[in-house]
Amino acid sequence: MMEVLLLKTGEPKNIVVEQLEDSDFKNITKSRYHFNWEEQKANDVFKLRLIESDEILGLMSLKVHRDEMRIEIVLLACSIENMGKNKIYDRIAGNLIAFACREAIKLFGADACVSLLPKTELKKYYISQYGMLDAGRQIYVESNSLFNLIKEYKV
Amino acid sequence: MKTNENKFTLAELAESVVFENRLTPEERKSADIELAEARRKNRERITGNQQLYAQVLQLRFLMEDYAKSEIFDQELSFASFLRKYIRLNYKVNKKFANDIDLKEAELSLILNRRRLPNEKTIVRLELHSNAMIPAISWYRVLEKEKEHELLSNTAFRQKQDKHVKNRLNLELQEV
Repeated sequence: MMEVLLLKTGEPKNIVVEQLEDSDFKNITKSRYHFNWEEQKANDVFKLRLIESDEILGLMSLKVHRDEMRIEIVLLACSIENMGKNKIYDRIAGNLIAFACREAIKLFGADACVSLLPKTELKKYYISQYGMLDAGRQIYVESNSLFNLIKEYKV
Repeated sequence: MKTNENKFTLAELAESVVFENRLTPEERKSADIELAEARRKNRERITGNQQLYAQVLQLRFLMEDYAKSEIFDQELSFASFLRKYIRLNYKVNKKFANDIDLKEAELSLILNRRRLPNEKTIVRLELHSNAMIPAISWYRVLEKEKEHELLSNTAFRQKQDKHVKNRLNLELQEV
């Protein structure tokens, strides 16, 4: 079971990642989730929540490039309470990225790839944090690097 | 290091956000070519074991999503998933049956949906995949099949009718 970490106690909490529903948009404000998520409606948008709660802790927008057997993480954000040194839960973004890996494996099997187009100044952090590989402007995981994320986040 | 835009360090941002990075069509094309080339080089090193690992994972995720879904699909039976699993690494069923200590005839009955697997078989499947596909994932697919059978088999229900007497009288009286 996938889980995030409640930093105050170190207790793991079970989570679920599921497709965003239209009714969710009314609760997704820019002040809390940083972006206008309505603009992502053309993509597959997923939310991460605790099993025991409806509160959305993180969001992710995915674009499937079927011809390239690749899923691109277009946008991802943790809720404002879960950012920075005072965040409540840890491992939200990692779980979302690992979930993208699951979707890629499901669609493309051994050819699965998950990529993202990072801001230049953040690239090295994604590489060290998630074991992503450098492909110039884009970074990606496939094969072992992708399996590792699935394993680490118990997808 | 803090960014001017907000109060988070770059590391903190990378731990919680992936920004949408808009490129011109030309920049996008060039970035995609770069990625395709990097992947091509990486794929040259992929082993048969890594491919098998991915295929087993794929099967597990498909099984789990199907078991969770509200839809019943006649084609997605326990037998069909098992057949796919066997084909990932075996040319003949006999060898697989032998590897999980099952009679070939028994495996054949399961694959032809004339017999349901027992718990021993399900646990052996988990062990055979090195727990990549847990027994519970196989079990949930099987449960879904049994659930559908229970709900849709009216002939079976009618046949059981004569065995039941002194039924609870739960008719509501009008007040």
